[in-house]
Amino acid sequence: MMNLLLGYQPLLDLFLLHLGLAYAQWLVLRAGVFSLGTVGLAAVGAYTGGILVVTYGLPAPLALIASALSGGLVALALSVPLARLRGIYQAIATVAFIQIVLSLNIYATNVTGGAQGITGIPKTVGTPLLLLAGAATIYLMYAITHSRLGRAFDAIRQNEAVAASLGVSIVRHQTLAFVLSGALAGVYGALEAFHSYALVPSQFGFPYLIAILSYVVFGGRTSLWGPIVGTAVLILLPEVVRPLADARMLVFGILLILTINFLPKGIADTLIERARGRRLGARRPAEADTAKGS
Amino acid sequence: MALILDNLSKRFGGVVASENVNITVPKGKITGLIGPNGAGKTTIVNMITGMLAVSGGTIRVDDTDITRAPADQICRAGLARTFQNIRILPENSVLDNILIGFHRHERCSTLSALLGLPASRRETAAMRARAEALLERFGMRHLAEYPAGGLSYGHQRRVEMMRALASEPEYILLDEPIAGMNDVESDALAVLFRDLADSGIGILLIEHNLRFVTRLCQHIYVLDGGRLIAEGAPEAVLSDPAVLTAYVGGEHA
Ligand SMILES: Nc1ncnc2c1ncn2[C@@H]1O[C@H](COP(=O)(O)OP(=O)(O)OP(=O)(O)O)[C@@H](O)[C@H]1O
Ligand SMILES: [Mg+2]
Repeated sequence: MMNLLLGYQPLLDLFLLHLGLAYAQWLVLRAGVFSLGTVGLAAVGAYTGGILVVTYGLPAPLALIASALSGGLVALALSVPLARLRGIYQAIATVAFIQIVLSLNIYATNVTGGAQGITGIPKTVGTPLLLLAGAATIYLMYAITHSRLGRAFDAIRQNEAVAASLGVSIVRHQTLAFVLSGALAGVYGALEAFHSYALVPSQFGFPYLIAILSYVVFGGRTSLWGPIVGTAVLILLPEVVRPLADARMLVFGILLILTINFLPKGIADTLIERARGRRLGARRPAEADTAKGS
Repeated sequence: MALILDNLSKRFGGVVASENVNITVPKGKITGLIGPNGAGKTTIVNMITGMLAVSGGTIRVDDTDITRAPADQICRAGLARTFQNIRILPENSVLDNILIGFHRHERCSTLSALLGLPASRRETAAMRARAEALLERFGMRHLAEYPAGGLSYGHQRRVEMMRALASEPEYILLDEPIAGMNDVESDALAVLFRDLADSGIGILLIEHNLRFVTRLCQHIYVLDGGRLIAEGAPEAVLSDPAVLTAYVGGEHA
């Protein structure tokens, strides 16, 4: 029994690490920012953490805070040009940003270790800490959802003109969402670095971007459950159906296309919507009558 | 105390959508704005609320110049509106659609919103209670949890009104609020609009239903081709030859 659980521990760690980045992606999308830059910001956090610990001998907790700050600050800088763009142009700009981060990681050899990356990072992060981080992340997302910020994000995503007409500052809220997302990505980038001894520049590239995006699109972009369901299913699937493991990216790609076509809201959001429909539908006969009378 | 448009003008390329329009919307009264299709009524509301750039003239609210202020700031100056082409948040429930209207009055700090501190939770609970009171007033309490996108147009228009009222505006601009409603529904709204005016809110009412406008307004403005062609008491204005000409062949009598 214990062995079985231990066998799944790497998978659980992977799930928790990816869940954090999935929430970082989810948060910006909720506020109507079409950023795909999450893995770029994770790379910023990971390298900040790795360099501070390995080169400067900083303790891991301090380095983690620095990673959050670096992710948030880079996102803040990036939000200036992004605020002038919308939709697909934001997506393109943020993919370009990832490209810039990747190039810096490779060519700024003195700081980042170049193509070799950073090795010899002390492993300070294990499953318990990741569980704690996961719980904290979910709580934060829950708190934001049920606050004035979550309401403003929802309004902006669905209709900017309406949001503005109700006094919601679009630039301020989208910047806040993007900075929070950047800080979260920075933290999870650093957690990944402190969990795995080494960082290589290609780690935060295109496949990772597609994986994170798949979790959110497949799971759902508006409910809190979306990233959890999406990340869990897509990480477990290749393990359950072993032959799929080698073709992980192929499976993600196909699932992404299928989801967009047949369940555009993602599985969790679709299920929640159906459940709500049934609950309200059961009450409908009485409702319809009152509605007619009013 | 009034919302004052002074020589307001708007050109779209060559099209003159409004030219030297002077309108005063006093507090505590319902001011009518009528005119045939394409007269420029919605354009005026869009300029007032900061959704269209003004080409010329000024807009003032109680002596504050808002001519070039951004939309969110104009809301905070005490102006709210509804949309002729309904714009609700379709994914959200009716209740959540109204909750966003309270944004202007939400005070809790960003930090307590992020961390879900008691201040943020209390605020959310208080806003919910106020939204439910509004639903009660509009006779839509039983629809609170329904997705707003699935409601009838009449209900959606009322959701927009509740959302606008949630911001507790000093002035509210209603762009064809009873379009698509039956007489029972529009009668109920007539009572409600009068109550709002009695409570001190200034209302600008745009409507094609002249009977409805005549019933509620002491002062109306008539727009045609972007220019004001008449203003005054409804009976006088509606018998004005220029107004009759503008409406000739019109189906709106
Ligand atoms: N964004 C825009 N770009 C170009 N022209 C516009 C724009 N908005 C409005 N117009 C033009 O300005 C004129 C006035 O339009 P507006 O919508 O204000 O009329 P309206 O009085 O509200 O009409 P209706 O009764 O049909 O709602 C029309 O000729 C319209 O085509
Ligand atoms: Mg109009």
